[in-house]
Amino acid sequence: MSNNKSETKPLEKIIELRLPSRLGYERVAMDTASSLARRMGFQGDRVDALKTAVSEAVTNAIEHGNQHDAAMKVVVLLTVRDDELIVSVADQGRQLLDQNNVTRTPHIEDILDKSDKGGWGIWLIRELVDEVEFTTAPTGGNQVRMVIHLER
Amino acid sequence: MKTTYYSASMELSIPSELGYEVIARDAVAAFALRMGFTHERVEDLKTALSEACINAIEHGNMLAPNLRVNVACMCDNDRLLVEIHDQGLKHHTPAQMPLSMADKLAGLGSMRGMGLLLIGQLMDEAGFDPNSPDGNRFHLTLYRQHTVEHVPSQRTE
Repeated sequence: MSNNKSETKPLEKIIELRLPSRLGYERVAMDTASSLARRMGFQGDRVDALKTAVSEAVTNAIEHGNQHDAAMKVVVLLTVRDDELIVSVADQGRQLLDQNNVTRTPHIEDILDKSDKGGWGIWLIRELVDEVEFTTAPTGGNQVRMVIHLER
Repeated sequence: MKTTYYSASMELSIPSELGYEVIARDAVAAFALRMGFTHERVEDLKTALSEACINAIEHGNMLAPNLRVNVACMCDNDRLLVEIHDQGLKHHTPAQMPLSMADKLAGLGSMRGMGLLLIGQLMDEAGFDPNSPDGNRFHLTLYRQHTVEHVPSQRTE
């Protein structure tokens, strides 16, 4: 018997991971995303790219969004669809991301001149995944939504 | 009642569908390795956790789609505690006279139902919370100071 609902809505499954804002936990998110992407059939280089992007997004959430407050959570939602994997990373927004920073390409000379060599994360994420979106969640935190497409 | 302070914790929620226990297994393994447990103990934990999640999916949630299995990990200086929580369409009732693994292997009963026996062998502590009001709660514990319980007897002739 056919079910019209399931034909129109893409079938998706969600895995939710809640991590304390402490550096090191980005590895748990990386390994979970990698385990899922491999089982979905993504090639090794794409899995590696996703791991780096997830690591950057979770590290940003811990360091900037939640300001290293271990009591604040970073929520990673992994949404599995037939043809894509969506990874959304949300923090509790103690510090909000400046929207002017989300599209800028950093100049290596400028960054080498600064004592803090950070500032590559957002650019790197853009380079590594197929789609990316930086928004403020309805609850007030920062949210990064990254998508990789499965090419068969 | 004694309350235990856990210095680190994480929570995970997976769809109640066979296959997703593998994702929970890998997430919890990454957590346990980060907490300083050896690869050998983490391998035991991976096996036990997979079994526990499969039980939750198959028995607790009775393979119903759209239900969830929640996994919480807590760690302190003494132990790692993992709790697997299903939505309990069917509550676990312990068998009156459970067969041992040896009896099962000798053909005295079904070859199924060895998951709990296996988990008991691999973990320092494991069991259902008898007072869970909402679904089955099953916990696995690994102590940092692992006590060796199964030393083979040495016979000299």
